[in-house]
Amino acid sequence: MARFYSLEVADVRRETRDAVVLTLNPRDGDDAHFDFTQGQYLTFRRAFDGIELRRSYSICTGKDEGVLRVGIKRVEGGAFSTWANEDLKLGDVLDAMPPMGSFHTPIEPNAEKHYLGFAAGSGITPLLSIIKTVLAREPKSRFTLVYANRQVSSIMFREELEDLKDLYLNRFSLIHILGSETQEIDLFTGRIDAEKCAALFRTWIELTAVDTAFICGPEPMMLAIAASLREHGLSDKQIKFELFASAQPGRAKARAVSAAAAASGADCEATVTLDGATRTFRMPKQGESLLDASLANNMDAPYACKAGVCSTCRAKVLEGETEMVTNHALEDYEVRQGYVLTCQCYPMTDRIVVSFDR
Amino acid sequence: MSDVMNIEDYIAQGGVLTNPANTPPRYRGELLRLMATFIDSELAGSAGFADTINDAPGLKERIAAARIVLEKTDHPERVLNLMGTFGADTARYAVHHPWAARVDRNADIGATRQGTDMRLSVFHYPLQGWIDAVVMNVLMGRAVGIQLEEFSRVSYAPLAEVFREIAPREARHTELGLEGLIRIISTAEGRDRAKQSIAFWQPRVAASFGQERSARFELLKRFGLRHRANEALFAAWTADVDALLSTLNLQ
Repeated sequence: MARFYSLEVADVRRETRDAVVLTLNPRDGDDAHFDFTQGQYLTFRRAFDGIELRRSYSICTGKDEGVLRVGIKRVEGGAFSTWANEDLKLGDVLDAMPPMGSFHTPIEPNAEKHYLGFAAGSGITPLLSIIKTVLAREPKSRFTLVYANRQVSSIMFREELEDLKDLYLNRFSLIHILGSETQEIDLFTGRIDAEKCAALFRTWIELTAVDTAFICGPEPMMLAIAASLREHGLSDKQIKFELFASAQPGRAKARAVSAAAAASGADCEATVTLDGATRTFRMPKQGESLLDASLANNMDAPYACKAGVCSTCRAKVLEGETEMVTNHALEDYEVRQGYVLTCQCYPMTDRIVVSFDR
Repeated sequence: MSDVMNIEDYIAQGGVLTNPANTPPRYRGELLRLMATFIDSELAGSAGFADTINDAPGLKERIAAARIVLEKTDHPERVLNLMGTFGADTARYAVHHPWAARVDRNADIGATRQGTDMRLSVFHYPLQGWIDAVVMNVLMGRAVGIQLEEFSRVSYAPLAEVFREIAPREARHTELGLEGLIRIISTAEGRDRAKQSIAFWQPRVAASFGQERSARFELLKRFGLRHRANEALFAAWTADVDALLSTLNLQ
């Protein structure tokens, strides 16, 4: 299981009105854990009102900059991003897992490739890391970036991107698409949809010369661009995705532990939901796991190892009390929210309500 | 077009997910089950094939068998590492089954999973010597090729990428098997024994394609974890193997 390490906030730079860029220093001896690949992300954890939240933010520095930075854009109603934008300060310590993610292609110093990137809003963060690394380490490769924002003032890393254009005059081209501000060229105003893609591929971007396309943004943009790229002849293998989901999983409430969980009978009435269908059956409190009882009642519940190791059979206890015999896969914060490994789970109360759908 | 979209609608429209935090609970369960099936099958396959190294009739064959065992251990490790990003204890998982264990050669287990071992049923049968192992490798290798093509399109991008990376190496294992089979059938005795092994393995590999019209398929299809039905994959394999065996005059 991945571990968390402490990172000290060495700098907080306000990038736009609602985005900050954090410079993070690993503790002595932890440097190797944060040796990232361009385009990867860090997962942070922090407790808000006693409830742990985890959020992933992409690294925005290139491999040759020698620092670790992430960009965090404030999301409306987002506890972590609001805190990072408003309260986080120099010297604070954040808990983060080592870099993860496969939003990258291998660097080949002699390659002469043409990369195409699409970013919307904070989706620029992993792309910036990729662009800087690729242009520095593949001196013959080119990069074209299509970058969508609402307006000029909300463009993250605007200056840094301009500097990159100057530094790599003939190898880096940048197209800004602005949602609500008119530009000289109509094509560069509005949203990136199928029509816009088709027009870009007709006039500005020669798709037949593109080796790999990177897309990072919210769901509708990912769908529109991927469909258009495929329609214009790119294969799945040539398209790399990093989804910045529009809805982050909410702040699950910690499950209230009922004091009156006193159990009497040897049986339990279990109500289990799977794929929207709910079934109620009786099962013994001992001798048969919740997973086995569900399977015995013709529910096609997912499982693999049945040893508390893989977490395939995870479900959430909504009512009642249960206990897990073994748990090698769920973390404390998940257990506090009511998640159980059903293969290791036995009821303790006379009634339990469990869902595989939540 | 709004910026906000339900994640399940996104997947149903062919959207790609990129990290564990994106995955809805039921999707997560089915994705992990798919990973477990691959990991268990490959680990069981390589464990069973390991004994074959010592049955190899020459150095070239010994190297080929050793390479297959090595790479069929490396491939599940890549998928297991992904499983680890979902919280799985990878070190425990890697040793939680006796991967070399086999049922009796004549046991009839059909397509059913044995206990909590997610390996495809075909990997429960023991290999009997070099020729048998080569035949199994060719027939199953052709099936793996078709299945990996299917799995290279799964909607979880990190897993699709692993499958795309390993597909050419798995294809090479099958080619090595085919080279071995061609040497084997150059003698009359070898040809007879190869035919016996084909008779044993062909229906068992066929069973690994699963049932027709499986109910789970619809769910997996909605999740973008499957695209072509079991019947279609099975038909593709049948046509491929029939053509191959006909070319080799082994029908």
